[in-house]
Amino acid sequence: MVRIDRRRLLKLSGAGAAAAASGGLAGILASGRAPAYAQQANVHWLRWSDFVPASDQLLLNQIVPECQKALGITLRIEMVNANDIQARVTSAVQSGTGPDIILALNNWPQLYIDSLADVSDVADKLGADQGGYYPISKAVATAGGKWIGVPWCIGGGLVAYRKSWFQEIGYDKFPDTWDKLQAAGKILKAKDRPIGQALSHSFGDPPGFWYPWLWSWGGKEVEADGKTVALDSKETVESVERALPFWKEACDSGGLAWDDSSNNRAFLSGSISATNNGASIYLEAKRKPDVYQTEKGAPMYQDILHAPLPKGPGGQYNLPGPFTNMLMSYSKNQAAAKQFVTWVNSKPIFEQWFTSQQGYTIGATKDWANDPIWQKDPVLLPFRNLPDEGRLMGYAGPPGRASAEAQTKYIIVDMYAKAVQGTAPEDAVKWAQGELTKIYS
Amino acid sequence: MIEGALWRRWVFFYIPLSAFIIALLFPFYWMVITSIRPDRELYRPWNAPNYNPFWTWYPTLSHVRDLLTQTLFTTWLLNTMIIALSATAISLFCGLLAGYALSRLKFPFAGSLGTIIFITYLVPQTLLFIPLADIIRNFHLGDTRWSLILTYPTFLIPFCTWLMMGYFKSIPKELEECARIDGATRWKAMLYIIFPIAVPGILSAGIFAFTLSWNEFIYALVFLSSPGEKTVPVGVTSELIRGDVFYWGELMAGALLGSIPVAFVYSFFVEHYVASVTGSVKG
Amino acid sequence: MTFTTVAAPSSYVGTPRRGPVTRLLEDERWLALLLLLPTVVLLGLFIAYPFVKGIMLSVTDTRVGVPGHFVGLKNFEDVWNDSIFRVAVWNTCLYTVVTTVFKLALGLWLAVLLNRNFRGKTLTRAFILLPFIIPTVLSTLAWKWMFDPTFSVINWVLFHVGIIDSRINWLGEPGLAMISVIIVNVWRGVPFYAITLLAGLQTISPELHEAAAIDGARAWQRFRHVTWPLLLPVTLVVVLFSVIQTFADFQLVYVLTGGGPANATQLFATYAYQIGIGTGLLSQGATISLAVFPVLLLVVIVQLLYIRKVETH
Repeated sequence: MVRIDRRRLLKLSGAGAAAAASGGLAGILASGRAPAYAQQANVHWLRWSDFVPASDQLLLNQIVPECQKALGITLRIEMVNANDIQARVTSAVQSGTGPDIILALNNWPQLYIDSLADVSDVADKLGADQGGYYPISKAVATAGGKWIGVPWCIGGGLVAYRKSWFQEIGYDKFPDTWDKLQAAGKILKAKDRPIGQALSHSFGDPPGFWYPWLWSWGGKEVEADGKTVALDSKETVESVERALPFWKEACDSGGLAWDDSSNNRAFLSGSISATNNGASIYLEAKRKPDVYQTEKGAPMYQDILHAPLPKGPGGQYNLPGPFTNMLMSYSKNQAAAKQFVTWVNSKPIFEQWFTSQQGYTIGATKDWANDPIWQKDPVLLPFRNLPDEGRLMGYAGPPGRASAEAQTKYIIVDMYAKAVQGTAPEDAVKWAQGELTKIYS
Repeated sequence: MIEGALWRRWVFFYIPLSAFIIALLFPFYWMVITSIRPDRELYRPWNAPNYNPFWTWYPTLSHVRDLLTQTLFTTWLLNTMIIALSATAISLFCGLLAGYALSRLKFPFAGSLGTIIFITYLVPQTLLFIPLADIIRNFHLGDTRWSLILTYPTFLIPFCTWLMMGYFKSIPKELEECARIDGATRWKAMLYIIFPIAVPGILSAGIFAFTLSWNEFIYALVFLSSPGEKTVPVGVTSELIRGDVFYWGELMAGALLGSIPVAFVYSFFVEHYVASVTGSVKG
Repeated sequence: MTFTTVAAPSSYVGTPRRGPVTRLLEDERWLALLLLLPTVVLLGLFIAYPFVKGIMLSVTDTRVGVPGHFVGLKNFEDVWNDSIFRVAVWNTCLYTVVTTVFKLALGLWLAVLLNRNFRGKTLTRAFILLPFIIPTVLSTLAWKWMFDPTFSVINWVLFHVGIIDSRINWLGEPGLAMISVIIVNVWRGVPFYAITLLAGLQTISPELHEAAAIDGARAWQRFRHVTWPLLLPVTLVVVLFSVIQTFADFQLVYVLTGGGPANATQLFATYAYQIGIGTGLLSQGATISLAVFPVLLLVVIVQLLYIRKVETH
């Protein structure tokens, strides 16, 4: 017992100044002592496991060594399931140690404003160099006039569908209204080929469908003042009422338990005919044409096309998924981290990663819309226009902290999930309204 | 032998027992089969024709190989071993001493202390993990093995203490008193006479504590974040689910290989384990 | 007894001389203090202290990275009005009660079966405990694969036996998800009950059974009047342990369903984790965690009283 105490004591005093100070470069400078490791810079980057595996391979096999050579920084990339990133952020902030840079999805940076370093210098320069940021990237990465993260890219969803199956039932183009889609889906479900849509607690697919669904019927979370909760409205109730027959007649009921990968697997195994998703289904089918085949034996990727979500009486929308690199304020490698972020977002380096994505994501700055990658495969071209037509959560207010909390608690998604499982639409809406009011108050 | 008519034996004994055994052990068989089944067989829908899920004619070690070479699985195994052994050692040490004190020594508040130790069992890990994360940070133990080595004993010590108390109570007081007449100090009597007799109890408590440490999840999930520090349960669930894909072959291989060390150690001490389970309940 | 005075250092020929520390250790109270010190320090530091901190967290509005201000009982009020919390309470109670009943019944049956002498008994007993030994997370992953909506082996079996013709969505339908979670918990817990109850059964002397049989009691009556009452103390203790563990269960649900679909399997612990660590609302998470404590206390007190009553009976 005594030995353990002493050992801990040594450990504590050794970790000493750097750890005991408030953390970060400022802390070290304030304490007047140099960090113990000024010679060798290390940067730990936490990312999600990319839905395009080739990009992760590129990062590990090419970017890491290039970074060592160009900057002398030892880059350590850790990839985890996207749904676990938030828990990691909380643990890291709570324990005061962890990755230096964390890639956040949606508008999560807004939840951690107080724990993030100011990166306005890096972001302003990158934006100026590359044609400016898309408004949605800027909206999620800024707070109180400063940049709290450096936008990385934007992911988007379109409906991936089986061309031949829709043609068989008379639809040469993908149905462009919800009524038409429901009718088509009903016929397809009777043939064991339902539409697949996640209605669960996962970061990407569920919000990616159900927020646009809400908006397309005219519903919204808050008014433009960003404070008055306006969910409980005729339009919202109608959107919930219309979701019921759509779900029952046309959708795969397993969607209640799906995570972001379940619809990919279901589509690739021929169980569903259409699903709102990023380009990962198509890219995976294209990667392994002999594994993923249609029932006639042809490669499945030749039968996949993408279409935007249908329109409702309130319009036609999509929810893009911005990605932002957050620099954590507890990090002791902030200078190196900033250097790394500037370097990796620079044109020649980012180009490599962007090309490996093959159109799965859009660059956060507008110059990437002109990249030659968009000419390579017409099936993926529709993804390019998503940021311009997209809306973010928290509409009609800004996508700030409250909307991030609402998204993380899956309030909108749960509103539809409850209705589909038997709650009366008005009650489901009232419940969601109550929850939102608590958050926005 | 089982008495009774043949049909009675089958209906009331053999069939139910077999049903239990199959139900209890099938998931392990499933783990094994999935680990050695090639990918193209793994992802066939449940109602696809010509599909036999219980056997494969093309066993492959590719999943196991991928698991061992492309993930930090071996590191996780090492971490978990070290943490489990250390936490068990600490808990045994504390439990041994505390059990002796509570069962053989007279001092004020002996009863209430015993009750308090019992009460700590009412405070499960899932109640404490959020504030404990703060404390771990204040002690600068975040993301290190020590965060677990020092916190696991909190749920292992009560159990070890009761078990040892049960053992000690069964040792007659005369033994100690004879030793002391012969000139041994109380301390020496404790160390050289009583503790050796309790060795079976120590083994039992040790093996139970060991398996409980392997089984812990939420503290490991919340206190550890670097991939190189993770334990097997946390590593397997968080890192083998890559992007859109659950790598079921590797996941099951990981589940299997992660279970083997515990099962292996357990197999040597089955009697002691059973004794510990029953002893704790009686004590 | 009087031995201590006889063995006093200075007066007895042949006793070695003892230093002050040794003399101190002779005193039962000091020895006890020393022996109990490590335990008290560890438990105090890592149980009592966080418990107090948890209470403090629950009366502030701390979020991740943002220290909170005192808000009194507001968190408790919010949590009580949170419909998901109420669902979690209901789920946890349902989960605990149902699994305990099944574990007890099946465990008892298995114990009775194992109480006979047959070939391979020791080996069987060793294998039977495996579900309980193997880390829960790993075996739950195997079950998750077995329940997978598209590739489930259970569905395959039921389909080929002709019981179903369209798939069962084990983890996707709310009611079925709860059943699935219960199945896995019972699977894991039955061995523990069985082995413990078996030990209890083995302490019941066969002569009692023979005596009852001679008096004309049938098997069922023998069980009710001889076995069960003698088994009751052991049963109650096992149930007590198991109830505490099941009530605070986290791993199983986290891996199998994550609390879904739509909170159908959300328990106290998973909800506290989701709110506290997932969303970063630490105070609310701590409040949800603490809400378990009064219920547990109640359950334990009731059971302890019952145990005492049975034991003195």
